[in-house]
Amino acid sequence: MPDYGHDLTFGTFITPTNAAPATVVDLAKATEAAGLDLATFQDHPYQAGFLDTWTLLSYVAAQTERVSLSANVINLPLRPPAMLARAAASLDLLSGGRFELGLGAGAFWDAIGAMGGPRRTPGESITALSEGIDIIRGLWDTSTRERLVVDGEFYRVDGAKRGPAPAHDIQIWLGAYKPRMLRLIGRKADGWLPSLGYVKDLNDLTTSNATIDEAALAAGRTPGDVRRLLNIGGTFSAQRGDALLSGPPEQWAEQLADLTLEYGFSTYILSGDDARSMMILGQEVAPAVRELVRAERGADRTDPTSAVGR
Amino acid sequence: MDYGHHLEFGAFVNPDSADPAGVVDLARRAEELGLDLVTVQDHPYQPALLETWTLLSWIAGSTDRIRIAPNVLNMAIRPPAVLARAAASLDLLSGGRLELGLGAGHFWDAIAAMGTPRLSPGESVDALTEAIELLRAVWAGDASSPLEVPGAFHALDGAQGGPAPAHTIPLWIGALKPRMQRLIGAKADGWWPSLGRLAPGDLAAGNAVIDTAATEAGRDPREIRRLLNITGSFGPTAQGELSGPPSAWVEQLLPYVLDDGVGTFVYAASGGADLERFATEVAPALREAVAAERHARSTPVGAVVPLAVRAKRREGIDYDTVPAALAATAVEPGHAGFAGVRNTYLRGGSPGLVLRPGDADEVAQALAFARSQPVPLAVRSAGHGISGRSTNDGGIVIDLSRLNGIEVLDVDTRRVRIEPGARWGEVAQALHPHGWALSSGDFGGVGVGGLATAGGIGWLGRKHGLTIDHLRAVEIVLADGALVRADAEHHPDLFWAVRGAGANLGIVTAFEFEVDEVGDVGFAQLVFDAGNVATFLENWGALQEAAPRDLTSFLIIGRPRGGQVVATVMATVDSDDPDTVISRLQPFATLGPLLQQAVQILPYPAIVATPDGGQHGQGEPATRSALVEHLTPEFAAAAAKLIHSGVSYFFQIRSVGGAVADVPPEETAYAHRSANFSVTAFGAGRTRLDAVWDTQIQPHANGLYLSFETDPRPERIADAFPPATLARLREIKARVDPENVFRDNFNVAPAEPGITAVAG
Repeated sequence: MPDYGHDLTFGTFITPTNAAPATVVDLAKATEAAGLDLATFQDHPYQAGFLDTWTLLSYVAAQTERVSLSANVINLPLRPPAMLARAAASLDLLSGGRFELGLGAGAFWDAIGAMGGPRRTPGESITALSEGIDIIRGLWDTSTRERLVVDGEFYRVDGAKRGPAPAHDIQIWLGAYKPRMLRLIGRKADGWLPSLGYVKDLNDLTTSNATIDEAALAAGRTPGDVRRLLNIGGTFSAQRGDALLSGPPEQWAEQLADLTLEYGFSTYILSGDDARSMMILGQEVAPAVRELVRAERGADRTDPTSAVGR
Repeated sequence: MDYGHHLEFGAFVNPDSADPAGVVDLARRAEELGLDLVTVQDHPYQPALLETWTLLSWIAGSTDRIRIAPNVLNMAIRPPAVLARAAASLDLLSGGRLELGLGAGHFWDAIAAMGTPRLSPGESVDALTEAIELLRAVWAGDASSPLEVPGAFHALDGAQGGPAPAHTIPLWIGALKPRMQRLIGAKADGWWPSLGRLAPGDLAAGNAVIDTAATEAGRDPREIRRLLNITGSFGPTAQGELSGPPSAWVEQLLPYVLDDGVGTFVYAASGGADLERFATEVAPALREAVAAERHARSTPVGAVVPLAVRAKRREGIDYDTVPAALAATAVEPGHAGFAGVRNTYLRGGSPGLVLRPGDADEVAQALAFARSQPVPLAVRSAGHGISGRSTNDGGIVIDLSRLNGIEVLDVDTRRVRIEPGARWGEVAQALHPHGWALSSGDFGGVGVGGLATAGGIGWLGRKHGLTIDHLRAVEIVLADGALVRADAEHHPDLFWAVRGAGANLGIVTAFEFEVDEVGDVGFAQLVFDAGNVATFLENWGALQEAAPRDLTSFLIIGRPRGGQVVATVMATVDSDDPDTVISRLQPFATLGPLLQQAVQILPYPAIVATPDGGQHGQGEPATRSALVEHLTPEFAAAAAKLIHSGVSYFFQIRSVGGAVADVPPEETAYAHRSANFSVTAFGAGRTRLDAVWDTQIQPHANGLYLSFETDPRPERIADAFPPATLARLREIKARVDPENVFRDNFNVAPAEPGITAVAG
């Protein structure tokens, strides 16, 4: 560690503006056309300027063929987990296994409350998220015919039928920065999805990875069970610069390879809503990062987890 | 009772989670077969079924034409606030193809097992009633006004309103009992039971309850569509209800239409073959049989205007006589989408009717209708106007946004035909691939029509002139409805007048421009500490006047903060050569301490980007405009006083001159060709702004640019047009608009009879 050896994937973070729905759908298609692996949309159901993320994910899934899709990340307080589980499985079935589940505990409680949703303290929201994950995984698990009972503090199901099972093992990725959430990731999640823009110091990433790894080991899992994904932003320009992700594609590739080898990230999700940048990421940066990482890892390392979306 | 609804036919697709591809194939087949509607049941506790909203969204993404509806959505499990936004989103994504079937919830053991609170039947009806109110409140709202919707089951406490769906989404309710039927009569748009769960006489009894409740609520029972889910099979001989040849089906379905008022049949076919017979044999034959009977019985046919829409209509507009060609796209205050068309960029409005013609003939029809109504008229291209008042209160707006074509007529002469509802950012995008551009203003969200009839002081103005200087012909609908083509040879006086005073003369439905060859351009944003603002203005003005024509710069100063005056100079250099760009900008570095700078070589469309999003202006802007020849020490001192007074939160000077001054003043109605600068101030209040402007700036003004002036005092018209120009305009106005239909903005009053203008 800290390179967990996951295969590298690249995606986009697309603003779901509802003023121009066709533009949003086109950016998702541009993601696929750029050869990228993943298209994601933020989820803020209280924000009237955005398209509803679930509706958009489903619509876009129907209009694409290869790219995986995820929310970045789902607002759990406004999307109750039992319904979410069946919807996620349905989308995965319809799309032939192209759906992944980014989840968040909720943050903007005034706006959530204004929509008729719950108000929770940070601690409560993490407990609720943990219960939500249990319900979601429980409903996806059709290996038993026993009806699902989860008697949580915030969410309960009482004898719900299980299923449908998704087409593939949908990964649950959590957006998180604080130790309690990081420990939850280590115990129960398949991925950690922070945003580089919120990271004050790269050393914090090392600390966070250690917290996740410790919790994973304590729960009888391995650190490699948790993919590390990163939302990134930046600009492409001809001049090399000192800043992170501001320069030519070669410089991006070197910096991202460094983030993989030193900090364990294996999925990079680019914001900016710019089709040209998506194309550069997919056609120039991604192959170069893969090449740099492959050279560094050597031939003896193999990927312990499945690729995103497959 | 036959309610006279247009007959519709739909498919009930079983969302089998074991066969997702088969489900989607059947939905696509329904579209191919020409059915109106594809519907999906909703039982979220049932894992054998795909989740309905996900599936509907997927089907919408897999089809182009067919409308989509849940049949019906379980509202016990689905929180309505998120559903409101999801429904609007699906309607927007699908181009207005979503209809909503809703139910109160039925299988409470299964619902409760999902972790949803168990409600009594009575409570579930109350909860659905609240959900209906909430859905409609969200769709009618906009993001700027928080919603307070109280409720025992569903409430909004300060949530944003919107988005508005693409069309008014009808709410069709699945119901069997009188309490729900009364709710339908009072509030819903349709009743949607399944035939298999009805006993003989139930339809008539339910209709009676619904119709009574509707009438009590002041509604017309015909507002409420009656839908019916049916099952059945096809065979050579009739064997009971809906089992036999199509002719037997038609015979059996006919009484449901004529006696029970069913307008929509939704068929749960066992497969594609049965669905095909239903769509291609039953549907057309039943339509024919119904049409014949309705004709014989003189049944009134067609949609009625719902009470909710009628209640919001304004005095003085005869809505029932809106021409048919315009009625389908017209927006009334009670329609979905009104929030998106009522306001403009800077003004709040509340028009009584927004007409959205799609071609010049429809513009003429809209104009004739508006003239026949005793209410104000406003004309809108994109609604960005500062002076242009393209909304009103209780009047009619002719919105030209559907007339937005951009077409290259001739590559060799760079002749381009552009319609008034296109926006300049879109024009820039369309011209760029040819290596062309047309200087307009400084913002891509501005519409073509308003700007191209006033002037067009843009980023490339000193090199390429005003927008109107590129105009070679217009097609214009005059007050009497005539469509006229005006150019240098035909109606030359009208063509002269349109270029600077077009809003007074008619509605231009197409512009023909000769555009310029423009490659990438240099674009700089230089932020200065303009401590000595008078000196700064004087020096900037002198630099700009002395600069080569390929440099055009605009200067913006906000309200001073803590004694500091910050000036932003935005400069465009019509060159993609970095050395040329830098050499043009170098002199500006001497103006004062630079706080920030950014210089880029950009494609022209990047500096007139088109914003997404609606317009949510409120109130009425207070602005003043002046054209001046030079930034003299006296003017600069006066402008410094204005800036330091704090009455203006946005003060802008755009450089003009250069190619603009090459055109003789008498050649267009925009006559102030000698002005090198256009000066504009936005104030928080008109009285305070006027007090400073009238005494400080006005004495230095040599005319004004009417697009940026909002002072309603009549003397401004004389500032906008010199005497000879104004006299000629009044004479032309007397001929083409003697009744002064187009008077909304900077009205040029028609000349009195007997007074002849001096030729301009």
